[in-house]
Amino acid sequence: MAKYPEYDHSKSREWFDRALNVIPSGIYGHLGPSEGLFLPLEKWPLISSKAQGTYFWDMDGNKYIDMMCAYGPNVLGYNDPDVDAAALEQMKLGNCTTAPSYKMVECAELLVDTVASADWAYFMKNGTDATTFSVLLARAATGRKKLIFFKGYYHGNDQWAMKADYPGITPEDVANNIIVPWFDIAALDEAYAKAKGDIAAIIAQPYDHGNFYDNVLSTSEKWKEVRKWCDDHNVLLIFDDVRCGFRLDLAGSDHYYGIKADIICFCKALANGYNMSCACGGNHLKAAASSLSFTGSYWMSAVPFAACLATINKMKALDTPKLFREKGTALTDGLVKIAEKHGHKLVVSGEPALFYLRLADDDSLMLHQKWVAECVSRGLFIASHHNHFLNAALSDEDIATAWGIADEAFDAVDKTL
Amino acid sequence: MIEQKALSYVNMYGVLGSLENLCDLDDGAKRILAKLDKPVSLCFKVVGGPCCTFHFTKSGCKMTEGSAGSNMMMTFAAPQHFNALIDKSIPGVPVKAPAKTLKFLMGPFTELTNILNDVLRASEEKLAADRDLFVENTMMTMYVIAGAIPALANTDSISQISAGNTVDGDIEMSIPNVAAITLRVKDHKFSTVKEAAKNPRATMQFADIDLAHGLFAGTVSTVNEMCRGNIVLAGMISMIDNVNRILDRVSVYLA
Repeated sequence: MAKYPEYDHSKSREWFDRALNVIPSGIYGHLGPSEGLFLPLEKWPLISSKAQGTYFWDMDGNKYIDMMCAYGPNVLGYNDPDVDAAALEQMKLGNCTTAPSYKMVECAELLVDTVASADWAYFMKNGTDATTFSVLLARAATGRKKLIFFKGYYHGNDQWAMKADYPGITPEDVANNIIVPWFDIAALDEAYAKAKGDIAAIIAQPYDHGNFYDNVLSTSEKWKEVRKWCDDHNVLLIFDDVRCGFRLDLAGSDHYYGIKADIICFCKALANGYNMSCACGGNHLKAAASSLSFTGSYWMSAVPFAACLATINKMKALDTPKLFREKGTALTDGLVKIAEKHGHKLVVSGEPALFYLRLADDDSLMLHQKWVAECVSRGLFIASHHNHFLNAALSDEDIATAWGIADEAFDAVDKTL
Repeated sequence: MIEQKALSYVNMYGVLGSLENLCDLDDGAKRILAKLDKPVSLCFKVVGGPCCTFHFTKSGCKMTEGSAGSNMMMTFAAPQHFNALIDKSIPGVPVKAPAKTLKFLMGPFTELTNILNDVLRASEEKLAADRDLFVENTMMTMYVIAGAIPALANTDSISQISAGNTVDGDIEMSIPNVAAITLRVKDHKFSTVKEAAKNPRATMQFADIDLAHGLFAGTVSTVNEMCRGNIVLAGMISMIDNVNRILDRVSVYLA
């Protein structure tokens, strides 16, 4: 008798069918079956009913250990009592008000105290807002127009950050984008010369955590070389820390690698699911930041600021980067051993806080997708194509449960081979 | 948004390339071939574009790249001149056996392309009334697309971005019990094999021929049908993502 039998998803499916009637593709974007790669579809939960700590439940009442954490925002655990208490208290005092709440000032002060490269903070709602702000700022500050990206980049969904072959994007939208291999100084020199110096910034994530391939870690030495190149050429360095931010280093991932970015973008782990993002920068860019025309209806709402204050303070108290490194290493070491027991080679890459998994037994990922689907269908929500995210509510008991599910999932896969 | 050179490759590999399948599937095309006195190998050579030879025999049609084995040849001074042959039936310049070339071009070849046009451009009303034509139309459209994807991946400037992000391997597109094609990728260059893949790195399977027809006709959404589970994907999905982006360009070129 299996300890972790397969779930039934019929009620979730009914809700998803309702969604399909009124929402394009039912659930669009990374949380949906298409971009989320729910392969095969019937193995996956589609709609949730509730969440708590490191778990969420689908419409059939099935419980999942969530290793995606809503793709990052869940950093302390769903419904964290300290964060929610701060948010609820602020909700009673006011949220979206004409004069912004003093919580915004406190939040900016805390970020400046916490993030090593920050002399100021500018608030918005999503990661894309923060990266778009950074690009506008870089162009405003330098008077230059082109941007350098590292290969395999992802910096959100605004036109400038996409590619010319994406639906709705024109070549003109991305005409100022230059793509070079990661840390290739010769390629940077060549791009600079070709652009006749008209380069405003390099924008990059802390390391290469692209999809469908093993994530590639950076080193302090490599980032220092890039930092020096930027300084030598008066090109700004934008750290897109939307994904990694506060999971590697509470002082910023640039600090983790021993450098200072000119601008750093945060979102996911900033407020434990309350919607806000921010960009921080040095004093040398403060005047240019003030000059930008860039705002939104909800960007100064007070409840997310209150949640952000509580989240950052709790992450400091727990030392979440250390916690994630320990838990991520323990979890993935165990998964590798279980795979070995079944005769499979599981490759773990990336930082433990954001580990990426790949079964290396076939290069099509079909075997990996089968195993991931069997894990998900038994209550361990992982992804076949994307890095994972840890949250502080993940217990040692949860990790043991994850191992048990992974083991039975391999049993199920092995029966099909 | 349409580049004439890329269009000439679509017309050669996608549109004319599907004559191979037409001659295999269509009774009218088979009757035309049956009347051939002897095999004909007609080469279309486009300056600054593709060069392919179509070998017609009583038993079928085979397309090969280059002019090897051709006994008739027609040249086109530029891709847009070749595109005019496809769009407006304006011939190029016959340079090998000119009289025979023109006679074949205006005779059996035109008859075949007329059938191809009738099959591919049949109205939805006509297709709804004739299931056999519906099946033939859908299969032929799939073969046209199968030829057009590599044509664009290799020559269209926007599709080349997608190709540049596609890893090596075979991508299989199939309609169970109806048709299967393989897109082969090597060093970001695409080619077509009009059969199922032996060891695909990614697969895209349409639930049935009606769904495939809707997708090809643009009446249903690929993403929506994936979400409904009517298109089953597996493997290196980044390859399929890139193929889907090229497919968007195919619909622009074939509109």
